[in-house]
Amino acid sequence: MGCPLENLKVLDLADEKASFCSKLLADLGASVIKVEKPGGDASRNIGPFLGNESHPNRSLSFNHNNMNKLGITLNVEHVEGRKLFLRLLGKHDVVVETFLPGYLEKLGLGFGALSKINEKLIWVSVTGFGQTGPRSRDPCYDIVASAFGGQMSVSGALSTSPLKPFGEQSYTIASLYAAMGILLALKRRRQTGKGEHIDISLQEAVVSALDHVMVRYFYEKVVPRRQGERSWNNTSCLLPCKNGQLFITLFPQWETLVEWMASEGMADDLTDDQWSDEAYRLSHFDHILQVVKRWTLTHTSDELFELGQLMHFPWAPVQSPQEVLDNPQLKARHFFIDVSHPEMDTPLTYPRAPYQWGCSLERRKRAPRVGEDNIEVYQEELGLSEQEMERLHSLHAI
Amino acid sequence: MRQGILNGLRVLDFTWMLAGPFGTRVLADFGAEVIKVQSAKTAKGAESNLTGYFNTWNRNKRSMTLDMNTPEAKEIILRLTEICDVVVENFSPRVMSNWGLGYEKLKKVRPDLIMVSISAMGQTGPWKDMVGYGPTLQALSGLTYLTSFHKDSPLGLGFAYADPMIGLYAALAVLAALEYRDRTGQGQYIDLSGYEVSCSLIGPTLMDVASNKKAAIPRGNDSDTFSAAPYGCYRCSGEDRWCVIAVSNEHEWEAFCRVLGNPDWTKEEKFSTLSRRRENAEELDGIMSQWTMMHTPEEAVQILQEGGIPAGVVQNAEEVARDPQLEARDFFVKLNHPVLGQAFSDRSPIRFKDASQDDWKAAPLLGEDNRYIYMELLGFTEEQFSSYLERKIIQ
Repeated sequence: MGCPLENLKVLDLADEKASFCSKLLADLGASVIKVEKPGGDASRNIGPFLGNESHPNRSLSFNHNNMNKLGITLNVEHVEGRKLFLRLLGKHDVVVETFLPGYLEKLGLGFGALSKINEKLIWVSVTGFGQTGPRSRDPCYDIVASAFGGQMSVSGALSTSPLKPFGEQSYTIASLYAAMGILLALKRRRQTGKGEHIDISLQEAVVSALDHVMVRYFYEKVVPRRQGERSWNNTSCLLPCKNGQLFITLFPQWETLVEWMASEGMADDLTDDQWSDEAYRLSHFDHILQVVKRWTLTHTSDELFELGQLMHFPWAPVQSPQEVLDNPQLKARHFFIDVSHPEMDTPLTYPRAPYQWGCSLERRKRAPRVGEDNIEVYQEELGLSEQEMERLHSLHAI
Repeated sequence: MRQGILNGLRVLDFTWMLAGPFGTRVLADFGAEVIKVQSAKTAKGAESNLTGYFNTWNRNKRSMTLDMNTPEAKEIILRLTEICDVVVENFSPRVMSNWGLGYEKLKKVRPDLIMVSISAMGQTGPWKDMVGYGPTLQALSGLTYLTSFHKDSPLGLGFAYADPMIGLYAALAVLAALEYRDRTGQGQYIDLSGYEVSCSLIGPTLMDVASNKKAAIPRGNDSDTFSAAPYGCYRCSGEDRWCVIAVSNEHEWEAFCRVLGNPDWTKEEKFSTLSRRRENAEELDGIMSQWTMMHTPEEAVQILQEGGIPAGVVQNAEEVARDPQLEARDFFVKLNHPVLGQAFSDRSPIRFKDASQDDWKAAPLLGEDNRYIYMELLGFTEEQFSSYLERKIIQ
C-alpha cells in the first residue's frame, strides 16, 4: 500500500513560518524540494542546535521541519535563477512561500503572472497578517502573531507579564491550515483543472485556535484575562504535590473527590452541605484550592494520576520534556523514531507524525544540507550539463 | 447546505466537545455534508445546541438524533455508513466496537470508507483507556511545563490549545485520505492520538533534550532558540497594557536605533553586536521598558512597524474583535441562529483568494435534520419515522 500523497510534488520556498507545512505533506508521502537561497535559508540559524553548536546543518528546528525533503539552492533575485525556477514550476503542483506580500511580484514571480503560464499551479502564501489589509506588509515573528492574535493576553499570571505559549505555535497552526488548503485546492483542481492562490495569515491562525476566548467575548461580553495556574472557568488548575505539579479538575467529579479526600481525613469542611452547590463552590474557590492543595501535597503526582484515572478523572502530572521522552505510552507506540544522519555515528531521535495510518509512513530521511540535491534536481531532472551548473554557480544563481 | 469544494462529501460525525467538532468543522466550512449524531441524553453542557460554544464549533453542520443504546441504532448507523464517505469519532477506544460499529464492521458495508478515530492516547498502548481534556494533554506533553517563568511554578496556556490542534490533524488526515481514495479507490483507517499531537507541538525541544542530553527549562518569553535582543514583552502606558518586540538581526537593529533617534546608549560597545546585546539583554530590556512606558502599545508598535521592526500589541479578546487588520479582511462573520440570534464567529483561516464565501450557517438545532436524514436519505416512511420517534429511538 502506497503513501497517501505520493504523487504530490511541492516546491518549498518557506522560511520557519511555514516550513512545517510541506513537512506535514512529506510525512504523508509528498515529494518536496526545499528551495533555499545560495548559502542556505536564515531558518538554519534557529536553535536549538545539535551539540549546542550554532551551525547551518545543526539546527534541530530546521532538521525537524525539513525532514524527508530534498534541498537545492536557487537565487530568485538573479535572472538565471528565475529561469530555473520557472522550469521547476512546470514539474511541480504546489509552491509554499512566506515572503512579504509584493516581494515575488516585483521579481515577476507573483501568482498572478505564474498562473498565466501554468493555470494548474497551487500557490500558498503564509505571512504574518495575510495578503491584504493595513498590516499586510508588516514583518512578523511568532511572538508578534501570538500577541496580536490574543494568545498572550490569556497566558501568564496577573503578577507577571503576558506569556507567549512555548515554541512557535503560530507557525504550527498556520502550517496545518496551509497543508489543508493545498489538499482542498488539489481536490478542486481535479474538478476544474485550475490552481488556486491560498492566503494564510499567522494572526488569523492564532485567533482561530483560542478555545473559549473569542466565544465568551462574543456571547457573554467577557474579556478573559490571564489567571496563572487556574483555568479560565476555575474548574481546573495546577496544584503542587510531594514532587512536581498535577493538572487537576475539581468539579465534574466533585462528590467522588471529596469522598476520596475524606477517606484520608483531608476533606476539612468540604463535606458540609453548602459545598454541594456548584455556584457556592465557584464563589468560594480559594478555600477549596487551599484544602485540596493540603491534600495533594501528601501524595506524589504519579499516585494521584494513577488513582484519579481509575475513576476517570482527566488528571495528569505536569511532565518535563525529559519525562515525555521516557513516557511508557509513547514508547509502546514508537512515537520517537531514529533518523540516521550519515555524517554522525549515531542516529538522532525525532518525533514521528502523530497519527497511524493503514499504510506505512516510514520515510525517514534527514533534512538536506545546503544545496545537497542540486545535482540530482538540476542535472538529472532538468537535464542541465555540468558546464551549465558551473556557470550558474559562478553567477550565484544557484 | 454550504457551497464549497467538498460538496458531495458526506461525513458521519460522532465527535463531541471541542477537538473532534473543531476538525469536522473544517470539512463543513468547505461544503461537506457533516451529519452530527446526537441524542437528548448527550446534548448537554458543551454539547447543548443552544450554547455559544456549540454554535461556534458546529456551524455549517447537520444534526440528527439517535439513541445509540437502542438495539435499532446499529442498523441505522450501518445503513448511513453505506452512503457516507467519512466517519469521525472521538470516543474512548472501546466504545465504537462495543456498539458493533468498529472500522472492520463499517468497512464491510462501505469498503472505501475513510475513518478517523481520535482519542486521548491512541487506540493502543498501556495508557489507551486514560481520559483527558486538552489541558490534560498539554500537561503531559511538556507544553505546560515549558510555558512558564520558573520550572517549579508552571503556568501553561490559559485555554485548551491541544483540542483545536488535534481537530486540525484530524481534518488534515481526512483530506489526505480523500486524495488517496481519489487516486486509488481505497479507504483508510487513521488512529490519531491527542497526546502525540500535543508532543508534536514542541518537536524541536524534544529532539534537543534527546540528543543533547540536557534539560529544557521554562524561560518565560525569553527564547534560547530564536536569536534576538531586544526580544520579549514590554509594559506600555495604560492599565495592564503590553507590547512585544523582536529585533533579530543587524538590519532590524539599525532600523530600531534609527526609530529611537539614535540615542547615545545604542552606540555603546555592550550593544554593538547581536551576541553582545543578548549578553546584556536585561539592561537592554530595562532601557526598552522606559521607552515603551511612554507610549500606548498601539503607538509603540506603529512607530516600530513603520520602521520595519517586528512588533505587536498584546491584544485581548475585545481588541482582537475590533482589530482593524482583521476587520479589513472580514475575519469575523455573522451566524444567524434561530434562538441565539445574530452571533459572530471567526472565518476559516484557509482563504482561497478569489472565492470568499458568505453563506455561513449557524449550528443546527437538536435533530433539525431528522426528517431529511431518516426519510430522504434512509427512505423511512412517515409511519416508520413516527414509530421511531414514539419509541424514543429518534429522540
